[in-house]
Amino acid sequence: MSLVIDVQNVSKHFGKATAVNQVSFGVEKGQIFGLLGPNGAGKTTTIRMINHILNPDTGHISILGEAVSPKSQERIGYLPEERGLYKKMKVFDQLMYLAQLKGLSQTAAKTAIEFWLDRFEASSWKKKEVSELSKGMSQKIQFIATVAHDPEIYIFDEPFSGLDPINSEMLKEVILEEKNRGKTILFSTHRMEQVEQMCDDICLFNQGKAVLQGNLQSIKQSFGNNTVLLDFIGDSEFLNQLEGVRVNNRSTNFAEIRLLEGASPQHILEIAMKHAEIQRFEIVQPSLQDIFISTVNDTKVAV
Amino acid sequence: MINFSKIWLIIKREYKTRVQTKSFMLSTFLTPLLILGIIGLLIFITVSSTDNEAPKQVIVIDETGRMFEPLRQLNANRYIPISASQSVDQIRDLIMEDELDGYVFFDQTFLSEGTPATFVHNGSGGITFFESLRSDVRDVTRQIRLEDNEVSEEVIAIFEERPALENRRLNETGVDEQSNAFLSSIGGILIGVFIFIGLFGYGAILMRSVIEEKTSRIVEIITSSVKPIELMLGKLLGVCLVALTQFSLWIATYAGVTILAAPVAQFFINQRMGDLQNSLIAVDAKGTAANVPSDIDLSFLEQFSIDPLFILYFFVFFVLGFLMYSSIFAAIGAAVDSEQDSQQFMTPVMLPIFLGYMLNFRIAEAPDSTLAIMASLFPLTSPINMVTRMLVSNVPFWEVILSILLLILSLIGMLLLAARIYRTGILMYGKKPTFKELYKWIKQA
Repeated sequence: MSLVIDVQNVSKHFGKATAVNQVSFGVEKGQIFGLLGPNGAGKTTTIRMINHILNPDTGHISILGEAVSPKSQERIGYLPEERGLYKKMKVFDQLMYLAQLKGLSQTAAKTAIEFWLDRFEASSWKKKEVSELSKGMSQKIQFIATVAHDPEIYIFDEPFSGLDPINSEMLKEVILEEKNRGKTILFSTHRMEQVEQMCDDICLFNQGKAVLQGNLQSIKQSFGNNTVLLDFIGDSEFLNQLEGVRVNNRSTNFAEIRLLEGASPQHILEIAMKHAEIQRFEIVQPSLQDIFISTVNDTKVAV
Repeated sequence: MINFSKIWLIIKREYKTRVQTKSFMLSTFLTPLLILGIIGLLIFITVSSTDNEAPKQVIVIDETGRMFEPLRQLNANRYIPISASQSVDQIRDLIMEDELDGYVFFDQTFLSEGTPATFVHNGSGGITFFESLRSDVRDVTRQIRLEDNEVSEEVIAIFEERPALENRRLNETGVDEQSNAFLSSIGGILIGVFIFIGLFGYGAILMRSVIEEKTSRIVEIITSSVKPIELMLGKLLGVCLVALTQFSLWIATYAGVTILAAPVAQFFINQRMGDLQNSLIAVDAKGTAANVPSDIDLSFLEQFSIDPLFILYFFVFFVLGFLMYSSIFAAIGAAVDSEQDSQQFMTPVMLPIFLGYMLNFRIAEAPDSTLAIMASLFPLTSPINMVTRMLVSNVPFWEVILSILLLILSLIGMLLLAARIYRTGILMYGKKPTFKELYKWIKQA
């Protein structure tokens, strides 16, 4: 199956700093692809290169089988992390301008914009300047600017940041709806629960490198049932005596314990029973949060 | 590889959003009123050569006994005799109380030994008054000396001769026309100031708009559709068109006014003449109307008309100069996050514009000096200085062409440099870059 977005061995330097280092990943048609990673990991730079805003120093990016170009830009709907519109321009004029810059004819742009304004119950704002709109309203207009030219690919950089719960829910709905229409979606985020709910494949960035990637479910499985959830009553001091484990999450009477090489869950249970009253003992797959943190920490140690 | 239809979209937006603003309307329609005022003032200055100030009064203390009478004959209002009872101290008091403008003292030996005469005054009147006083004294003295030496009538006539010198400038078509060097110098300075303000004002507008796009982050959306260079070119050309629109409206107004001025003035003059003649006829049936001048010469108004070819050159130099300077303004706007931060980078750009502005006054005075020729060829000052020079003097055609070529070359160079800074700058936030970093951005391929 041919890849919709194909990133191969891409690197980008800014002066002496390496923002993206030999990154490769591919996004298949109709997928929702999550780009994860801490701040400064190189996600936005990668997204800008896919959008042909920046050029990679080395490596190659192709969109729908062709190298990135002004042509490929027209097939992508891009919502940048930092949103912005012309404050002094009327909503309708602004949307017309942005849609035509994406290659739409005047009539096609008009039809599409009217459809979306109607859909978001925003038709009455047409003649308003953006500076008159509330934050939630301008977020909707921003979103229309991203989708009006009906692109095959959507790229959202931190789409949920700064959204109120209503707009956040609306955006999620639209993303899933567009996926069902066969569109391909790539977004970057910090919010793990959204990734777990929506993404098919993920790629985890750290310090400019893609440190972990693939299908979300297989990644979780590959970590195996290596996590112990423990509810207990009593002194939590015993957790410090455990060997071959890492305690990811602990509170007065709860602990999420990650088993490292050679550690046995039965041994943990044994020790725990000596020191506290056990109310729950469960062996599960790691959470994405845990995978994220431990992978990031592992790569830090490696560097 | 540049997409012109997208640049056209950008030009249209830049143009429309500016032309539709209130401030554009205001400045476009108020400035002609200002120009009208200036023209009115110039006409006033040209027409009213006689000042209607109260005549100055000067007492003549004449110990030679020969100076006062001829002076009184020259200007009876100005030169008044000293009365027998007046002492010099009393006269001084009068001057200090502003009852009198001054006195001239001729010593007994003024004519015989050439002792200098003294003019004591209260400081009013200024240089023109002093000059006219001096020339009166000089004329009278010369007259007396000529008489004393019994010079023949012919020689006296030679001294009284005032040969006329008409000022006519040869234009390109070989026709000599009435020239007023003073007016064209003023025009030259004004047009230079005009371009200076245009370069600066519209450059600042452009820079502000680049900063606004950057800080509002819309630039990232735009650059996901067009290349940074396309955005920059579109903005430059859009703002340039706004400037040209405004200038065209102004020039049209000016041309309209100067074309209409003569007939309108003629109309009013004729009407007044008619009234005058009617009233005279009413008084005297035989008509002394022949004494009334039948026509007043309005040909001086032609000096205010502008040559269409000059307008073309004006536009060429303005557009080229604007694109050159504004590409730098755009680059500065892209490099910084706020207008305050732009100051440091503005200074080196402002220097040559100011230089051109300052040189302008010298060039209006001496349009064919080496300095003027250099300034009108040097690309950083030529947009201002060549236009001024062309208005004041007849610049050889090859110099104009050379100046345009040099300007185009440096415009292309500046555009390429600016585009590199712009491209990197618009996506950089936070720290204000140093000159060293700007240099690195330029070097990046």
